[in-house]
Amino acid sequence: MAETLLWVLPLVPTVTALLMLTTRNRRLLSALDVGGSAVLVALTLVLAREVAAGGPRALGLLRVDDLGLVFLLLLVVLTLAVSIYTVGWLGEAVAVGNMKAESLRSYFALVHAFVATMVVTVLADNLGVLWIAMEGTTITSAILIGYHGHHHGLEAAWKYIIVTTIGISFGLFGTVLVYAAYAAAVPLAAGAGGLSWSAIMQVAPSLDPGIVRIGFIFVMIGYGTKAGLAPMHLWLPDAHSQAPTPVSALLSGVLIKCALLGIIRFQTIAAAACGPAFPTQVLLVFGLTSVIVATPFILAQHDIKRLLGYHSVEHVGIVALGLGFGGPVGTYGALLHVVNHGVTKALAFFAAGTAIARYGSRDMRVIRGLLAVAPIGATLLMLAALSLAGLPPFSIFVSELMVLRAGIGDGHWPAVAIFLAMVVVILAGLLHHAGSMAFGEAPASAGRQREARSPLLGMALLAAIMVLAGLTIPTSFDGLLRRATGIVVD
Amino acid sequence: MTVDRPLGLVLLEMSLLVLLGPLVTGTIQKLKARLQCRQGAGVLQPYRDLAKLLGKGTVQADTASGFFRSVPVLVLAATVAAAALVPVLRAGPPAFPLGDAVMLLGLLALARFLTAVGALDAGGAFGGMGASREMTVAPLVEPALMLVVFSTAVVAGTTELGALAGQRGTSWFPAWRAADFLGLAAMLVLLPAETGRIPVDNPDTHLELTMLHEGMLLEHSGPGLACMVLASHTRQLVMLGLVSALFFPVGPVDGAGVPGLLVGAGAFAAKILLLATFLALVESSYAKLRFFRVPQYLGVGFVCALLALGLRIL
Amino acid sequence: MSPETVHTIIDDLGALLLLTMIVIVAATQIYRAIYAVAAQSLLIAVAGAVLAASTGNVDLWVIAGVTLAVKALVLPWVLHRVVQRMNVRREVEPVIPVAATLALTVAVVVMSFQLSASLGSVGRAITGNALPVGIALTLLGVLVMATQKTALTQMVGLFASENGIFFTAMAVTQGMPLIIEIGVILDVILAALVMAIMVLRVRSTVDADIADLDELRG
Repeated sequence: MAETLLWVLPLVPTVTALLMLTTRNRRLLSALDVGGSAVLVALTLVLAREVAAGGPRALGLLRVDDLGLVFLLLLVVLTLAVSIYTVGWLGEAVAVGNMKAESLRSYFALVHAFVATMVVTVLADNLGVLWIAMEGTTITSAILIGYHGHHHGLEAAWKYIIVTTIGISFGLFGTVLVYAAYAAAVPLAAGAGGLSWSAIMQVAPSLDPGIVRIGFIFVMIGYGTKAGLAPMHLWLPDAHSQAPTPVSALLSGVLIKCALLGIIRFQTIAAAACGPAFPTQVLLVFGLTSVIVATPFILAQHDIKRLLGYHSVEHVGIVALGLGFGGPVGTYGALLHVVNHGVTKALAFFAAGTAIARYGSRDMRVIRGLLAVAPIGATLLMLAALSLAGLPPFSIFVSELMVLRAGIGDGHWPAVAIFLAMVVVILAGLLHHAGSMAFGEAPASAGRQREARSPLLGMALLAAIMVLAGLTIPTSFDGLLRRATGIVVD
Repeated sequence: MTVDRPLGLVLLEMSLLVLLGPLVTGTIQKLKARLQCRQGAGVLQPYRDLAKLLGKGTVQADTASGFFRSVPVLVLAATVAAAALVPVLRAGPPAFPLGDAVMLLGLLALARFLTAVGALDAGGAFGGMGASREMTVAPLVEPALMLVVFSTAVVAGTTELGALAGQRGTSWFPAWRAADFLGLAAMLVLLPAETGRIPVDNPDTHLELTMLHEGMLLEHSGPGLACMVLASHTRQLVMLGLVSALFFPVGPVDGAGVPGLLVGAGAFAAKILLLATFLALVESSYAKLRFFRVPQYLGVGFVCALLALGLRIL
Repeated sequence: MSPETVHTIIDDLGALLLLTMIVIVAATQIYRAIYAVAAQSLLIAVAGAVLAASTGNVDLWVIAGVTLAVKALVLPWVLHRVVQRMNVRREVEPVIPVAATLALTVAVVVMSFQLSASLGSVGRAITGNALPVGIALTLLGVLVMATQKTALTQMVGLFASENGIFFTAMAVTQGMPLIIEIGVILDVILAALVMAIMVLRVRSTVDADIADLDELRG
């Protein structure tokens, strides 16, 4: 059953995408969109139960373990939320003229193709397949980023495809190097299954440390580009700000997390081959750089979606720090942070998207008095901002605290100090921005129509997860995270 | 095992290079003409030009000093001396002390320097322009040529060209190491610059904006000009000889005796013809580069040469 | 073929690949860069064929064939068509002087050789100098993408980068799994197509070169 699901899961969005190409009816497209996402969620939950009961399953080039499952769950939940959100968002976008009614089906089909490539990324056991799927996400999402077709959108899309393709070729080179190390260590076992992560992990301690080290650095740069780690983050703020809002949410919530999963896979190999100190060092360097680089841009930003983009750079940096500090606490914290940030950031993008539609501008100096014109949306935006800033009782506070705890436990004092300082500065900046948007006098230009129901529903779903995860982590999810941590740490 | 080259052979080779220089130029001109669908002058035309110049009187600018008169002779002497250092018919070190490749490049540089000084001495505007341009290009070409020579010399352990060529033996492309490819590429890039041809210089024009080498010859006349022209013919053939000595085997391995020398001569003619065809093709298919683009073009040669040396050492 | 012969041939092809890469880095005209990258792909295909003949690995024959067809013929042809169709500026516009780029080129190549010389046991896993040449090609491709403003030269840089990876991947003693290589090539084709479409789309919708789009910053 679980093995079949491994093949079915990537097929669901693919088939959805193909079905979408057959119709032009907007209602039907939206129904297909939500339906396909719901089926994906249901199947994933079934798979999660099977894996919890029977351990990792593999089928050909694909394999699901607890680590992948964490990312898969995040992916499908966000996809569902995005689908629900899109229903209402689309009505508005078509009315304004941002989306052309006649080309909607290709938009929907591309979104689902994008989701399909990400599902493969998460489920890939073969490192080559991982790379191919990762490049697939670039190709599908590049078109989506430039979907609005205006000047800036195309520029962002071009920058995105060039920067990430450069990056990802480094990733391929790293993969080749790790494979070369594997082929040298196990001369006969190579061949078709030679790039399998689980097979490489079995012999990882005997791999040549020198070549794995170079390979890991290449991979770190490669997948780090895709994950938005500084200084390879150049594409990220542009792409996040120019893409249609649902796509921004998917990019920030899931795509960069998928790249992180790729990094984690290689980190485990590198830790086994060269000792844990080496990947720790690399991850800490990239993590700290990201946190430091993102801070000034967050403070000085006026474009709300760019702000959220730079904020993603910071949070990917925090995840990298958590992975770098390592140990059960750090890794658990990092994985939890992946989920928390994904959910919260998607919520923030949704809320920002509705606000932008209401004011007709992305400039935070224009968006004022949101609470007066759209109370529910404003509340959700505030909640998301408070959570992103890392305040209790929201979930990000918990995971950031765990990362910090791991850093202190390992005695990485300079890193901890920089991390804390930056988080505090960003907290202040974020609260300032959010406060000025929510409160004050709304300008006359602000739309005062009633808030659409479906975007609110999508946001409520995410907000509920966000708040709940801050208050308590369900036992089953806790168990999943613990087992996933076990995969990384051992 | 290579055999030493006696004095007589070296002298023979030197005079061959000097005497056949104009023929090579004529051949290139003829090939170029045919490539451009023209009839073109005969291959012997450069000889006729030289003979004509030798029969003419000398006119000298008022501003020129006495040194100006001696420049052509000195240039020709330096170039001919350089010609003595290239193995043509047979590989192997000379039987008596003789200079090496560094000396060869030095002599060619000296000839170039004297030419430029002579052009400046005459006081003409075009001569000054030509000299300044030539001296801008030269520092880019000469180090790169040095690098190519060194990249080959590292293997042989000597910079003496005869011994270098002997080291190469009869090996052709299949036995080449990676560095040889890059070295030859560098050489082919630099060759048009060193022989004053497109895309760096244009030997056919006296248009003031485009000329480098020709600009420096403007003030010379009569037998003096003949010397300068002969020197540039010789220089061209010396460069081609240098390429073939560095990268292609010279003569049969056990090439003692007259038959060996004849085979060597045939091989040399074939190689020079090949390189001449290359030059003619380049000249016909490319335009002259704008002057400030030239360093970029030569940069490619320099990088190739540097990498060739790097590959040998690493 | 004996392993030594293969070793030598791979070394030689590596040198020629570096040569084509230098030409790409220094190319002043877009056509020249396209021809150079086509020649480079051809050399990669030859390398694949040599390795296939020596190891008897059927997969490598397929990969060499696909490389020849796709990267040496189809993609350069597509680029050529785009250049003709768009009537773009034929001159390449570097961000920094070509002399500086060439200096960087030397530094990168030397560094690559140093780096792989510092790895002792790689010799067993990768034939000849495929590793340093591969690293150098990959990095130089990125250099081209970073220092050239026009969209098409950036694509050429991408292909060169990918060529470097392929060269190393082929020379790993066992060869990469066929399905992976095919997938990678497919991805490259798709990426190239998407890029070409985007270039044409920018031309048609906002009537500008991608190079002129530089308003997003900060």
